[in-house]
Amino acid sequence: MNFQGYGAPAAGGFPGGFPGQQQDPLYGYFTTVAGQDGQISAEELQACLTQANFSGGYRPFNIETCRLMISMLDRDMSCSMGFTEFKELWAVLSGWKQHFMSIDRDMSGTVDPQEMTQAITSMGYRLSPQATNSIIKRYSSNGKISFDDYVACCVKLRSLTDAFRKRDQAQQGVATFQYDDFIQSTMSI
Amino acid sequence: MAYQNQYRPPQYNNAPPDQSFLWNIFQRVDKDRSGAISDTELQQALSNGTWTPFNPVTVRSIISMFDRENKGGVNFNEFAGVWKYITDWQNIFRTYDRDNSGFIDKTELKQALTGFGYRLSDQFYNTLIEKFDRQKRGQVAFDDFIQCCIVLQRLTDVFRRYDTDQDGWIQVSYEQYLSMVFNVV
Repeated sequence: MNFQGYGAPAAGGFPGGFPGQQQDPLYGYFTTVAGQDGQISAEELQACLTQANFSGGYRPFNIETCRLMISMLDRDMSCSMGFTEFKELWAVLSGWKQHFMSIDRDMSGTVDPQEMTQAITSMGYRLSPQATNSIIKRYSSNGKISFDDYVACCVKLRSLTDAFRKRDQAQQGVATFQYDDFIQSTMSI
Repeated sequence: MAYQNQYRPPQYNNAPPDQSFLWNIFQRVDKDRSGAISDTELQQALSNGTWTPFNPVTVRSIISMFDRENKGGVNFNEFAGVWKYITDWQNIFRTYDRDNSGFIDKTELKQALTGFGYRLSDQFYNTLIEKFDRQKRGQVAFDDFIQCCIVLQRLTDVFRRYDTDQDGWIQVSYEQYLSMVFNVV
């Protein structure tokens, strides 16, 4: 039986299919920054998202958040991202952004801790108030959470949950870690 | 097993420095003469060899390690600990910076961390450098090297707390795992 607390995969794929007649517009943004190897680094991801005006009215992502995004999908520990992962990231980010915008009604670019708690719950995570509070505390400045911090938090939650899941063989919400593996899996996030 | 007795950087047992020597340094660093060295003052006094400011996260970690009164700075008594801590790290850094470049590259980092007792895959060192190298040179400067070791140490400490039978394995719930790790990495 699937442990319930993990959180459903983030909602939000391409709304009803993207205009994929000729070429995927995302591919355009991607290839502008990717080099010969078809991989992008954190800096290039930042440039890419900024160029695509992903953040819209919000401030562009800072470099640390981009680094977190790369490592969320970095299965081969290459510290870079190919186009398939980029598309996956775009879908996930779009879902999170839609959600953030639905909470940030006054378009201030920030949400308060209560709204953040709701956001975490509505993503499907089942955490105690203490756990949620300590997570939120990490990302608030002056009691507010910016879009960038919100995304960083979502990315981390997802990465850590993936890491945990892999070591929860029985899917009971309990995982076993050997020390060396714990260090490496946790530091890779 | 390596996990047991490792990952404390080797303690350098130099003779404790002369009090007046320390006091001279303290006064020079405590620019506003407040009697305590703040994050900013410590940051200004330290060099990472790159002509860019010392990693502020590392400065914060060091101050909070020795600030027993939670005042946001260190007084003269606490400063002795700070001085020793940094001097030890300088010695370690010099030891492992074998080509004397002022930076620790991947090979040197491997030697350092293996020397401390960590057992990490070759691939993982790429991740470490990507994560901690603020200069974007593919090598770590002095402050980033300290930061990397501090985080590794914190993770180890939190692991140890859960490894009650000390066998190098822990079993944790999802919530425990998130609380353990979320604020460290």
